[in-house]
Amino acid sequence: MEVKSTVTEGVTVLTPTGRVDTSTAKAFETSVMDAINASKKIAIGFNEIDYISSAGLRVVLMAGKKLQASGGVLVLINMPEKIFAVFKMSGFDKILKICSSFEEAKPFFN
Amino acid sequence: MLIKIKNNVDEIARLCDEVKKFCDDNGVSEEKYHDIVLILDELATNVINYAYPDGGTHTFTLDLHKDGDDRIVMKLSDDGIPFDPLARDNPDTESSLEEREIGGLGIFIVKQLSEVVEYSRVDDKNHLSVTVSVMNKNNNNSKE
Repeated sequence: MEVKSTVTEGVTVLTPTGRVDTSTAKAFETSVMDAINASKKIAIGFNEIDYISSAGLRVVLMAGKKLQASGGVLVLINMPEKIFAVFKMSGFDKILKICSSFEEAKPFFN
Repeated sequence: MLIKIKNNVDEIARLCDEVKKFCDDNGVSEEKYHDIVLILDELATNVINYAYPDGGTHTFTLDLHKDGDDRIVMKLSDDGIPFDPLARDNPDTESSLEEREIGGLGIFIVKQLSEVVEYSRVDDKNHLSVTVSVMNKNNNNSKE
């Protein structure tokens, strides 16, 4: 797993690749926390992962909590349907912002 | 297909590769492969993290096979401490972001993605059997 990081219009966009599982969740967490320490506007893209397990969902939840507490914004973007299904069954679609694209997420960062 | 797995998280990557091969050989769709590999990741992770608190190297097994045309059956067996993952409470998926906890989410996802999940403790081993439907959903855009 790798995490690509780009800054677009003031928003840090993180894109993990491969499997976000127990063995890679720690590296994912480090990338996400580093990004949060540097920016309060974070988007995470899910279009390049094979799957995300509960170990990875834990990191996303933690990021959401941290950014909400500090007045930041987290938006989850580019989620294939199979990945969205996992977020939905976990109830995360009710507590985290999920948008189909970066364009759609933009208003949340203004 | 019988896969032997050691109690080390680095085994998950190899497990995924083996499962991918099994799914390709058996004509399982990409979407169902996703569900199956996620289920097995969660279950194997549970065994690796909790079954052997005394440490040391242990090996547990996964028996993966097709049952008829439309089902995949996965049977995990380990000789670790008694552990029934189904006894865990489901997470509260209605709670707010601040209050939401992560515990129990893995097995909850497994239950959501599968048709049947059964636990038994036999001959000092934990046995977990999971059945997933892989029926073709031709004109049916099912969200399950």
